[in-house]
Amino acid sequence: MRLIIDKVSKRYGSGTLALRGFSLELGPGVLGLLGPNGAGKTTLMSILATITRASEGNISWNGSDVARDPDRLRAELGYLPQDFGVYPNLNPVEFLEYLAAVKGLDGTAARGRIDELLNLVNLTDVRKRPLGGFSGGMKQRVGIAQALLNDPKLLIVDEPTAGLDPEERVRFRNLLSDLSGERIVILSTHIVSDVEATATDIALISQGTLVAHASPEELLRQVESKVWEWVIPSAELAAAKQKFLISSTTRRSDGVHTRLLGSTPPPHAVAVAPNLEDAYLYCLSNYRAGAAA
Amino acid sequence: MNHAHVLYHMVRADFLERVRRYSFLLTLAGALYLAYGVITEKVWVVLGNGYRGVYNSAWIGALMAICCSTFLSLAGFYVVKNSVQRDRDTRVGQILAATPMRKTFYTLAKAISNFAVLAAMLAVLMVAALVMQWLHSEANQFSLWKLWAPFVLLSLPVMALTAAVTVLFETIPLLRGGFGNVAYFFMWTTGLALGAQAGIAEPMGMQVLFRSTRAALLQVDPNVRDSFSLTIGGERAVQRFLWTGFDWTVPIVLSRLLWVGVAVALALVASVFFHRFDPAYEQGRKAPASRPANSEVNETQSTVADNVSPAHLTPLAGNRGRLRFAHLVGSELRLMLKGQRWWWYAGAAGMLIGSLASPTADERANWLIAAWVWPVLIWSQVGSRETRFATQSLVFSSERSLQRQLPALWAAGVLLAIMTGAGVGVRLLLSGDRNGLLAWLAGALFIPSFALASGVWSRSSKLFEALYTVWWYVGPLHHTAGLDFMGISRASASPGVYLVAAAGLLAAAYMGRRVRLGYA
Repeated sequence: MRLIIDKVSKRYGSGTLALRGFSLELGPGVLGLLGPNGAGKTTLMSILATITRASEGNISWNGSDVARDPDRLRAELGYLPQDFGVYPNLNPVEFLEYLAAVKGLDGTAARGRIDELLNLVNLTDVRKRPLGGFSGGMKQRVGIAQALLNDPKLLIVDEPTAGLDPEERVRFRNLLSDLSGERIVILSTHIVSDVEATATDIALISQGTLVAHASPEELLRQVESKVWEWVIPSAELAAAKQKFLISSTTRRSDGVHTRLLGSTPPPHAVAVAPNLEDAYLYCLSNYRAGAAA
Repeated sequence: MNHAHVLYHMVRADFLERVRRYSFLLTLAGALYLAYGVITEKVWVVLGNGYRGVYNSAWIGALMAICCSTFLSLAGFYVVKNSVQRDRDTRVGQILAATPMRKTFYTLAKAISNFAVLAAMLAVLMVAALVMQWLHSEANQFSLWKLWAPFVLLSLPVMALTAAVTVLFETIPLLRGGFGNVAYFFMWTTGLALGAQAGIAEPMGMQVLFRSTRAALLQVDPNVRDSFSLTIGGERAVQRFLWTGFDWTVPIVLSRLLWVGVAVALALVASVFFHRFDPAYEQGRKAPASRPANSEVNETQSTVADNVSPAHLTPLAGNRGRLRFAHLVGSELRLMLKGQRWWWYAGAAGMLIGSLASPTADERANWLIAAWVWPVLIWSQVGSRETRFATQSLVFSSERSLQRQLPALWAAGVLLAIMTGAGVGVRLLLSGDRNGLLAWLAGALFIPSFALASGVWSRSSKLFEALYTVWWYVGPLHHTAGLDFMGISRASASPGVYLVAAAGLLAAAYMGRRVRLGYA
C-alpha cells in the first residue's frame, strides 16, 4: 500500500500558488499534516481526495496514476472534508444508506456497517432524527461515519475533531489509531495534541511547501536541549518576545513563566523536556528564517 | 449610526456581487436581444387595424421601455432574488442582526440594492435605445427627452416594484424557495392580463401608452379599432401613423410615482415578515447543511456517561465490488421524495387517478399538464442539490460518480416523470396510440434532462424553475407548436425533436459535471 505525491503544485485561477512542488511518500500509518492557516493543507487534501486536480506533478496510488485513473483511488478512499453538508430531511441512517449506494456498497452490507458506525460515533440514540436538527459536532460525527463506510484503505480527514467535545475527540483519536494498522490515514489539523496522540509520521507544511517529514520522535530530537523555561517580570515580557521565540507564557505569582526556544538560553533559564508543539514552532520558525534569507 | 453610509455600502456590496454574475449578463443580453428585435421588426406594438408609430424618438423610446419593463419585471426578479438568501447562507445576516440596524432599514436597503441592479440594466438599454434611434430612425428629428422619458417614467417604477416584490418574496418563508419562483410567474402573467384591461391601474404603463397613442391615431383614422397588442413575431403592422410622444401631465406622472410608493410600502411590509435571521423562525427551512443547525438536538443526549471506550471497526470484507446501479437509482428517488408532505402525494395520486379515469383524450391531456408541473420543485433540485446542501465533496469523491451517480440521478427524475404521468401513459398504451405514447415518452425523458442540465450548469434550482414554468405555460398549456414538449395535441407535438433535445441536454449535463469534477 503506497501513496506517492511527486512534485505536486496547485495554482488557482486567481494566480495563487497554494502548493509548490510538494513531494511525499506514504505507507500504512497515520500521517499528521500540520501547518498554519493558509499553508495549503486543505488544497493537498482536496487533490488527494480527487476533488481537484494538481496543476503540476503526479500522484500515484499503489502504482496507478491518480490523474489518469481516479476511480482506482476513489474505490478505496474515505474522505472527511473540512466543510461538508448533509441533507437536512434525512436521518443519519438514510443519509449513510444514500452515500453507501453512491459508493457502490450493497444494501445488506451497508445496513450492518451503518449500525456499527453509528454505534462507533455514538449516534445510535438519534438515528431516527432528521439531520437538520443536529449540532455541528453531531454532523461532524456523521461525516466521520460516512468516511468509514467503504472500509477505506486511504482515509483522509481534514480537521476531523473540529466541533467535537473532549470525550468524542478522544474516541476519534482512538479510532484513528485503531484503523491505522492496515491503511494509510492522513490527518490534517492545526491541533498539535491530536497529532501527538495518533500520528506515526508528521509532515509540516508552510506556504505550500513541505517543511519537514519525520516521525514525532525525530522532530522532538531536533529541539532536544533547545526548550527553556524562564521566569521574568511582566514588564520584561514584550522585550523578551522581541528577542526569543516564545511558545507559551503563564502568569504566576512569581512572574511570567515563559517557554522559549533557542540554542542559547538567557541567564537563569531552566531546560525543560520538549513537546511536539515546540518542535512544530521551531521547524516553522527555522523555515521562515531560511525563506526570508 | 450613519444610515446613508450604511445604506451606500449595503447597496454597493449587493450591486457589485450581482452585476459580476453570469445571470446579470445573460439577462442583459436577453433584454438587448429584445431591443434588437425592435430594429429587425420582430417586436411590435400594434394598434387598431394594424397600425404602428413612425420610428421617431418617442416611438422607439416608448416601445423599448415597454418591452424592457415586461421582460425585466420577469427575468429581473429571478436575477435579484438572492440578496436576503445570500445573507442567510453566508451567515452575514447574523452579523447584521447583531447591529442596531432596524428591520425596515434592512428590507428597504435590500429593495434599493435590487432596484440598483435592475436600474443598471435599464441604463444600458437606454444607451441601446440611442443606437436604435441612430440605426432605425424614420424621422429626422431627435429628442433625448422623448427617447428616455418612457424609461424613466414607465420602466423605473416597474423596476422599483419588482425590486420590492422580490424582497417580500424573500422574507415570506412560503415564497422564499422554489414555490415562490413558480408563483411569481403566475402573478406576473396575471398582472399582464389585468394590464390589458382598461380602467384598471396597472404598473407596466401599457394603458398610459395605449391612451396616448390612440388619441394620436384617432386623428388619422377616426374609425380605428379599439385594440392594442405587444407582439413578438406575431401580427405585423401594415400602416404607420405619427406619434410625437407622451404628454407627461401631472396626473400621469403621479400615477407612475404611485407605483414607486407601492414599492416602498411593499418593502416596509416585508420587514414584518423579516425576523433578523432569528433561527427560531427558520425551522423547517432546508438550510445549506454545512451551516450549524438552527434547532439543535441536545448533544448530551447521545454522549456516553461512562469512560471513553476504545473504538474498533469490523473490516468490511467481501461486500464491495459489484456496482449496484438500480439500488443507487432507488436511493436517488427516495432522496428526491424525502420530505414531501402528505398533500403532495395526495395531489399526485389524484392526478394519476383523474388521468386514468378520464374518458376523453382532451381531459387526459389536461391531467398530464397538471401532473407534469406538480413535481417541478423536485426536478429543480436535480443537478444542483449537491451544491445547495454542500455535499459535493462527499458525493463527487466516490468511485465513478460521473458514470454512476449522475445517470442514476437522471434515471430517478425520469422515473418520477413516468410515475406522475403514468395515468396518461397507461391509457395511451391501452389504446395503442403509438404516436401519443412516443410524445409522452419524449416528455418524460426531456423534463429530467432539462432539469439536470439546468441544475448542473447553473448550480441552482432557480434557472429550471423559471424556464420550465414559462415553457410549460407557453408550450403545453397553450398548445404552441414546437414548444409542446409533452405532446399535448397531435398538432403541437414534436416527439422527435424532444427526444433529441433530451439526449443533447443529458450530454450537456454530463459535460457540465465532468468540467466541475475536473476528472473524467
